[in-house]
Amino acid sequence: MRLRSKGREVEAHLLPLLRDIAHADTMTLADWDATLRLARLARVLGVLAHRIRSDQSRWARVPEPVRGHLRASINYAAHRAQMVRMELAALDRALPADMQVIVLKGAAYQLQGVPIAQGRSPNDVDLLVARADLDRAESVLNQAGWVSEVRDDYDQRYYREWSHELPPMRYPGHALEVDLHHTIAPVTSHARADDRLLFDGLVLIPGSRYWALDPCDQIIHAAVHLFQDSELDARLRDLVDIDGLVRFHLRDEGTWNRLIERAGRHGATRLLWYGLHYCKAWLATPVPERALRQAPPRRAQWAMDWVFSRATLPRLPDRPPGAMVRLAGALGRLRYHLLRMPPALLLRHLAHKTWTRRFARRSASPR
Amino acid sequence: MIPSSGGLIASRSDAELNSALGGDGCFVDYGACVVRVRSVAHPFTDLLRRVYGAFPLQASAEFADFHVELVPGKGVRRWLRPTARFRIDGVEPFEPFPATSTLPLFEWGVNWCFGQRFNQHVLLHAGTLAIGERAVVMPAVPGSGKSTLSAAMMLRGFRLLSDEFGVLKPETGELLAMLKPVALKNQSIGVIRAFSGDAVLGPVFPETRKGDVAHLAPDLASVSAIHQPARPALVIFPRYVEGSDLEVTPQPPEQAFARLAFNSFNYALLGPVSFHAVADVAESCPGYALRYSRLDEAIDCIVSLLEDTRGPR
Repeated sequence: MRLRSKGREVEAHLLPLLRDIAHADTMTLADWDATLRLARLARVLGVLAHRIRSDQSRWARVPEPVRGHLRASINYAAHRAQMVRMELAALDRALPADMQVIVLKGAAYQLQGVPIAQGRSPNDVDLLVARADLDRAESVLNQAGWVSEVRDDYDQRYYREWSHELPPMRYPGHALEVDLHHTIAPVTSHARADDRLLFDGLVLIPGSRYWALDPCDQIIHAAVHLFQDSELDARLRDLVDIDGLVRFHLRDEGTWNRLIERAGRHGATRLLWYGLHYCKAWLATPVPERALRQAPPRRAQWAMDWVFSRATLPRLPDRPPGAMVRLAGALGRLRYHLLRMPPALLLRHLAHKTWTRRFARRSASPR
Repeated sequence: MIPSSGGLIASRSDAELNSALGGDGCFVDYGACVVRVRSVAHPFTDLLRRVYGAFPLQASAEFADFHVELVPGKGVRRWLRPTARFRIDGVEPFEPFPATSTLPLFEWGVNWCFGQRFNQHVLLHAGTLAIGERAVVMPAVPGSGKSTLSAAMMLRGFRLLSDEFGVLKPETGELLAMLKPVALKNQSIGVIRAFSGDAVLGPVFPETRKGDVAHLAPDLASVSAIHQPARPALVIFPRYVEGSDLEVTPQPPEQAFARLAFNSFNYALLGPVSFHAVADVAESCPGYALRYSRLDEAIDCIVSLLEDTRGPR
């Protein structure tokens, strides 16, 4: 299974560390040099730092200059977590008490105390409300001072018609953006979440007004996000999220069956399969064989492996990427777009983006 | 800490410097951090020899905190209006500079990396100098003459740790050096040139974002002591006021605390970590606001205030 990452820089230490933090004991200062850079590029440095620090004697064995970077990432993540708490408190005051508001991803992991939240540094707060509540939620937030930072009419329309979230909003001066979602997959994509199932599975987070998705739906959402929403450089972190959620929530056969069944009903069987497949291959996530039974055709799998491993795993920028890596990056982006929207719409979207970018460059060219 | 390949940068040839910069890079040890710099941009070896002259040339090392690159601008512009770009791990945090300003770009870039990422330490916006192990911390807002006073103090025998960063290690309360060439701005350039014949200055870069800038080379004594720890002994809030007489006003600890916290790059980010570290400094060190116009007078005053802190406390 490990073959897919063989020969890549990440296989030297980063993936072994993510699989088992005890690998840190074998590393020299020189090993850490590249590993810190790769971990930072993949946005998993804070998570690694927390795992190492949880064992005092291991922490003490790490070379001091490295411990400095780990401390910095722990401090930074603690700051981000505080920003999340403050944003959620501010949103709580603004949103009507009778509205059911769901926190997604990082904010949910944090409020629910999932270990993967430790050291993770969210860039935004993702909220989900029922489609029927969406307009009200938006206008309440606008009245309370949150404003959309997307000025362009086309972009506004893109979000509202073809996406699964509103354009990001921010309260002036706040560190984090708020993304208001009404479902967990882009409305134009193949995966179409069963909203009834999604909302029936909600759980109220103890001591909070916020709700979270059913743990299985959280994993499915993370898999959809990984393939349809994630910026390329954050994909390894998304896999680390899935790995953390699986290890925390899926401890018996019944829950695994539930996960597979719910993925089917959300139209996300294939995406979940790939997510678990890469988690198992790269992070040694304990995934039972029967959860990987509904495999895609071999050729699709081979193509996906070829693109995904090249486009997902971070690499040091000291040398320019080879032609194969660049090709894989381009194919990865194309696939990402095709999953999100049908080809005709995609063509229209890309044509618009290319045109406006050219035009903007010419008219805004300074000096 | 890092094996040196021997010899100071001042005594290395263009060929040696260029082969290091164009190959695996030069490893510059600033004290608090090591930066590996590679460059294929407009050559600036002359400048390195002048403003980094007292630093050892290290062409290899096991570890660097930051891996940065200076590369030429892209496209047609590259020929019409040559520029230099600063990259860290493939990211370009700011707009290109004119190719002739490669040194200011590098200096600015290193400050940016350090200020953004070194959140294991409390980063005060302060000039930091020491006599022996006893350090003076001088926090100030830009334009207070902090860099000029720091430069002058080094030229009168203080060990310079940094003119910009007070690097406070929260676990031990120690100050670390972040020893870089002092970026002097506008009139300060002439002031320092007139102040001491020992001042080694790089060329003036006119009309950068911060006005005219010239870099003062750190002296050999400061570079040699780069890994010696220092402890905060005195806090001075300097303010240059043209034509004014010297005025020293004691600052009660609570006021010193607020001013230290305000003049910090990452006080808010570090939360309780920085609260405790800064409170310790404010509590243990006498603090003074210092208004001055004559450098030597200000330095004499600081020397005697630092002497006073030796008494039984």
